[in-house]
Amino acid sequence: MLTSKTFVKKTKRGRIIKIVREHYLRDDITCGSESCQICDPFDFGQPLVAEPENKSRLCLTPHYIIPDTNVVLHQMDVMEDSSVQNVVILQTVLDEVRHRSSPGYKRLKSMLANPSKHFFTFCNEFNKNTYVERQKGESSNDRNDRAIREATSWYQDHLRSEGQSDLIIDVVLLTNDADNRRKAIQQGLKAFTVHEYVKSLENCGHLVDLLSQSQMSVHSQDRLMFPEHLPLSEIQRGIKAGRYFQGSFMASRENYLEANVSVHNKDEMVFIQGHMNQNRAVHSDVVAIEMLPEEEWSCPSSMVLEESSEKIVEDSMETEDEAIKRKKIPKELRQPTGRIVGIIKRNWRQYCGILRPSAVKEGTRHIVVPAEKKIPKIRIETRQAADLITQRIVVAIDNWPRNSRYPQGHFVRKLGNIGDKDTENEVLLLEHDVPHSNFSEAVLACLPKLPWIITDEDYKRRRDLRHIDICSVDPPGCTDIDDALHCRELENGNLEIGVHIADVSHFIRPGTAIDKEAAERGTTVYLTDRRIDMVPELLSSNLCSLRSNVERFAFSILWEMTHDADVVGTSFTKSVIKSKAAFTYAEAQMKIDDTAQNDSLTRSLRHLNRLAKILKQRRVDAGALTLASPEIRFHIDSETHEPIDVQAKQIMETNSMVEEFMLLANVASAKKTLEEFPDCACLRRHPAPPPSNFEPVIKAALSKGFNIDVSKGKALADSLQSAVVPSDPYFNTMLRIMTTRCMMQAVYFCSGMIPETEYFHYGLAAGIYTHFTSPIRRFSDIIVHRLLAVCIGADASYPSLTEKHKTQVVCNNLNYRHKMAQYAGRASVNLHTHIFFKNRTTNEEGYVLFVRQNALQVLIPKYGLEGTLYLSDGKTKSKPRFTYNEEANTQTCGSVTFHVFDQVIIELSIDQSNVQHLKLCLKLVKPEIPGFSVPAHSSEDSEPPKKKQKKGQTKK
Amino acid sequence: MAGLELLSDQGFRIDGRRPHELRKIQCRLGVFNQADGSAYIEQGNTKVLAAVYGPHEIRGSRSKVLHDKVLVNCQYSMATFSTGERKRRPRGDRKSQEMTMHLQQTFDAAIQTSLYPRSQIDIFVEVLQSDGGNYCASVNASTLALIDAGIALRDYVCACSSSFVNDTPLTDINYLEESSGSPEIIAATLPKSEQIVFLEMNGRLHEDNLSRVTDMAVKGCKDIHDILDQVVRDHVSEVSTVHGWEN
Amino acid sequence: MIITHLNLGILLTRIWRSMVDVRIAGARSSTKPNVSAEISNLVTPGDVITADTGFMRGHGTYMEDEKLYASVAGVVERVNKLICVKPLKTRYNGEIGDVVIGRILEVGTRRWKVDTHAKLDSVLMLSSVNLPGGELRRRSEEDEKMMRHYLKEGDLISAEVQSLFSDGALSLHTRSLKYGKLSQGQLVSISPSLIKRRKTHFHNLPCGASIILGNNGYVWICPTINEEVEQTGGYEQNLEPIQKSDREVIARLRNCVLALAEHKMMLYDTSVLYTFEASLRYSVKETVKPEVMADIIEVAQQRLEREGT
Repeated sequence: MLTSKTFVKKTKRGRIIKIVREHYLRDDITCGSESCQICDPFDFGQPLVAEPENKSRLCLTPHYIIPDTNVVLHQMDVMEDSSVQNVVILQTVLDEVRHRSSPGYKRLKSMLANPSKHFFTFCNEFNKNTYVERQKGESSNDRNDRAIREATSWYQDHLRSEGQSDLIIDVVLLTNDADNRRKAIQQGLKAFTVHEYVKSLENCGHLVDLLSQSQMSVHSQDRLMFPEHLPLSEIQRGIKAGRYFQGSFMASRENYLEANVSVHNKDEMVFIQGHMNQNRAVHSDVVAIEMLPEEEWSCPSSMVLEESSEKIVEDSMETEDEAIKRKKIPKELRQPTGRIVGIIKRNWRQYCGILRPSAVKEGTRHIVVPAEKKIPKIRIETRQAADLITQRIVVAIDNWPRNSRYPQGHFVRKLGNIGDKDTENEVLLLEHDVPHSNFSEAVLACLPKLPWIITDEDYKRRRDLRHIDICSVDPPGCTDIDDALHCRELENGNLEIGVHIADVSHFIRPGTAIDKEAAERGTTVYLTDRRIDMVPELLSSNLCSLRSNVERFAFSILWEMTHDADVVGTSFTKSVIKSKAAFTYAEAQMKIDDTAQNDSLTRSLRHLNRLAKILKQRRVDAGALTLASPEIRFHIDSETHEPIDVQAKQIMETNSMVEEFMLLANVASAKKTLEEFPDCACLRRHPAPPPSNFEPVIKAALSKGFNIDVSKGKALADSLQSAVVPSDPYFNTMLRIMTTRCMMQAVYFCSGMIPETEYFHYGLAAGIYTHFTSPIRRFSDIIVHRLLAVCIGADASYPSLTEKHKTQVVCNNLNYRHKMAQYAGRASVNLHTHIFFKNRTTNEEGYVLFVRQNALQVLIPKYGLEGTLYLSDGKTKSKPRFTYNEEANTQTCGSVTFHVFDQVIIELSIDQSNVQHLKLCLKLVKPEIPGFSVPAHSSEDSEPPKKKQKKGQTKK
Repeated sequence: MAGLELLSDQGFRIDGRRPHELRKIQCRLGVFNQADGSAYIEQGNTKVLAAVYGPHEIRGSRSKVLHDKVLVNCQYSMATFSTGERKRRPRGDRKSQEMTMHLQQTFDAAIQTSLYPRSQIDIFVEVLQSDGGNYCASVNASTLALIDAGIALRDYVCACSSSFVNDTPLTDINYLEESSGSPEIIAATLPKSEQIVFLEMNGRLHEDNLSRVTDMAVKGCKDIHDILDQVVRDHVSEVSTVHGWEN
Repeated sequence: MIITHLNLGILLTRIWRSMVDVRIAGARSSTKPNVSAEISNLVTPGDVITADTGFMRGHGTYMEDEKLYASVAGVVERVNKLICVKPLKTRYNGEIGDVVIGRILEVGTRRWKVDTHAKLDSVLMLSSVNLPGGELRRRSEEDEKMMRHYLKEGDLISAEVQSLFSDGALSLHTRSLKYGKLSQGQLVSISPSLIKRRKTHFHNLPCGASIILGNNGYVWICPTINEEVEQTGGYEQNLEPIQKSDREVIARLRNCVLALAEHKMMLYDTSVLYTFEASLRYSVKETVKPEVMADIIEVAQQRLEREGT
């Protein structure tokens, strides 16, 4: 098997040391072709079909395709197209792709794993016939090119050699490197550029659009030139010397001329302003920056600047940059400002967007406006413009030449008509990277077979709690019930509280396809009109859901408590339960309040409610924050699926009751798992925000005469509690909303990875915390369940459960998915708001949340909605001038001055001037400013019959 | 840049081996004249010399004398030029001392110590080039040297390492695989009786996989034994033919 | 990562041709004949020799689970019910009556410790030596005090194995005029298994030198011993200068012995003598070269086979 070995010498940076490595060359590597009579086939059959059908005018015989590295990297979309089949990916190519682009490598690997693509990896580096040694003076690139040619030539000979079947199969080398192509042709190989080849294919018009436009010529009239990016070696030297800094580029959502770079190992953000300074960086790229001299430092303009889509601003870049420079920034406002000197790593992905109507209808060059405002417009080339103009499309960026204002890209696929709700949902799922395809066959195969029955064996291994009166309390319409509660009096006078959580880990076994899928999805995503499940519906809404009057598996935590809510004992057990009722919050509230009812369920609810209040008080005393964020609820028409009413969510006592016990359960499980697994418990922490984060709140509260103490969580909670303006009940809520925005993100982590002092959960004022109570919709809870099950000996451990690095990797993914799910949820709300207001214009009460240089940020409590009220857009001269006072944070126009927290009346409507991009439009009604405000809308929109819940709220 | 891929999707390791394949082994017996027994082994790029002296009278302190068995004395050292960077202390460091101890334990179990009471056997091991599996190569070389010295052994002692990557056990790991942070199991066995005389594990490995990885190492030992045995047989045949011992 | 593919394999050597003939071990052509087919009844450690319980366990074997295993690599030898395995090389296993050459390591109370290349140091009791002035004299305290005067550390002796101690150590005696302290000559150490057991191990070779082939693998080469005068069993050393011609003969003999050992040939008077004669075609200096050695041995071997000794 081992044929021979050669020595490979490598040198490393820094000290030159010679590393000698063995390299075994083999003669047992198959060529992967079905027609081959010589090589040993795989057990599962050869990947390359015997009669490949790549119909090309350039090569009429059946053939396999061998692309070189750059073709694979740059033409990934072509490669991914289902019509491209029977491709040989050489090991040399695979290795180079791996080194150069990890997302590219991932995509390539998934192509290779897809049997219908007939892709095959040929290990040419380990084959004794195709291995080439680097020659003296040859660069590694040249050597790799030679290796690719060598392998191609071997294939050609091999497929024609004696003993093969009569049908001759050719190989075609695809390379865009002219030199490589020339040498290949000299060697007698068939070699083409991708462009030549793709264009020669029959019926592959759509493939041409997918071609990456690496050589697209740019408008010659573009005089402007971006500064050149420094080569990587120079950047590294610069970073070492401290001249440059590495960081990730974060474009501003509000102003396309502004961006920040979060420099590694530095707390402070570096501000980047203007086209030239941004120098072709795209959001989320890893960049190298150089600090500007202090006198050129600048600050965010607090302007909300959107590139208007109508104006063609091809050559106004310099003017825009000039305009910025002219503005003098007062010294005290200046922030560290820098400019980008080079790109260390592009993090381009595929972007959703719409085609901007081109002046020349028949032209092939078009501009795509991405849905994400942080992404610049992308220039693509397509012949289907007329088709695409009404569509949401996906595009990819290929490159960004120095002399082009916009990056260049290519069309990938279309999503559907603009404005179509499904299409819009698709866009926001794609933009937030939410995996939402249907569950694969492999995943569905992991589901238990129906009818699912509980066996005697199951009863033996679980505690039987079916006789206990357990109920669940959830929002209306909830089908994935993952928690249920009970409370009963014990003989010794204490209370037994039980929290029963759906035992999802019973169904999702580690290492199975369903486990991997759930870990990848991380969380269930709730859109306004759609739920993207983490686990298939059979589990989420049926077998795991703790519905009433059916027997279900649960993971129970049982406490023995005194009537003063002091915990006497805690135990964890796997159980079988039978919930007696599934209440909504309102129903539960009614039961508690209705003195006529006195059955055991009601009594248990009352106990729970009373204990919850004690627990909550303790928590608040410990410094837990009560924060607020406006949440709204849409009433969706059951027929049209159009939203018919919007209102802010109602919070009832029962909400808080359930929440308290969930918190208790979470803390208990965090303690238990950490005790047992100090190194690999999956916990959740919430870092304390730096005091600077609170500045806007402090400033705003001060304007109303309140002092907010942010030194400690407890102090903050207390000062928020006391900041009440009797005349303005909403003031306190607003303050809490603002405080919420100052908070850091809570994150999952693995206990072995960070020091113990950082386990703290700031918002809950808990020493340690985790998520245990919603395993149906969060993967973190499944991990916690598994860990707990091992703790109590109910389940076996498995390898990756106790590996802290693997757990941390899972946690990182969960954090990312969690964040994206939140964003997607918000985006969905936005989308529905737009649809809701599409045919409506209403006047609503609002509050000023922030004052900006040219706008007011207004919150409308009724809808929990936030919008921007532009004060002057510079278009119409006749409008009254507003004066912005930066110190006091006010806008003044004549006698009217806007402060933060000021109440205003706003007219809400949808700006339909741009059909493709609906915008919520706010207009001022009160206070009246002549020439700016609009008259009050006469007919108040039809008030829907609402506030059924009011009754529950007023009583206690 | 992505990290190293220790095992590719195609089932090849970095150096082109499959998971169960050993590196190329070459060895020779009787490389020194002065020593009672000596051997040289190459396992891939790991090259080790072993010399055995004795059994002989115990030198130095009389207190070391064991009245019922032989004293096995080992010394493991690495040549200064054996690693990528020059080592400054070839035998003083703790790793070498530990290795010395491990070798001593291993061979104490394999040599028929009761045959040589009150005497001493010295095993000197020098690593000339190190590319992973130093202990294994040292054990294998020492075994050959002991056989060359005609010292009675219960069986060969063969050592092999194994690791666990992507749910697959790898055998006979080289330096790159060793230093990648994946778990490592080193086993020294008496291959014919399948007894493990020494087992060491570095890194973290889940209990469920332990037996698979250990089995891989034990299998590696058997493969190594077959190779060593062939070399010994060739060597003995060759010499005895000249001797005219063949009947 | 920069990967360069280059061949390694340059060994730096400097050859001072004029002064010394240096050659690289690897460059030497293999002088050994390519191995014939593996010989029968060859065993290696751990091999089962027989599962038949009717045999007796000899050297190089051990019993376990009613089976007889080999513990060394070698050829199985059966003598009636006794099974032994003889390894190629081993330390000297003494037998009573063997002639050995030894070196004094230590002077103790009433005994000398002697290195004989055995597993343990051998003992030469004061009572087992001939003392000057009569064989049957009692050992007095005076004699004990004089021990170092007779034989001191580093002295070489020839002796005979008198008996074996229970731990395998040898007890020697020199109670014959043949034995005793050795004076001028050269010691060569080879594997004990290469010394052929003969009636006599003392040879006055016709080439003009004497050789003592110790059973323990130590070979002593010295100028021809005048039997009448020098077999004293005494403790005087003849320190007269040796003639150059004699020294050359000794040197040549030494190289011949080494050549025989190198080629695993058995050593006895005839084989040594034939080898010596075969070497005469070369200068003494040349006889250390491997290829010359091989040539000499081949000639000697052919002659031995021809003459059937």
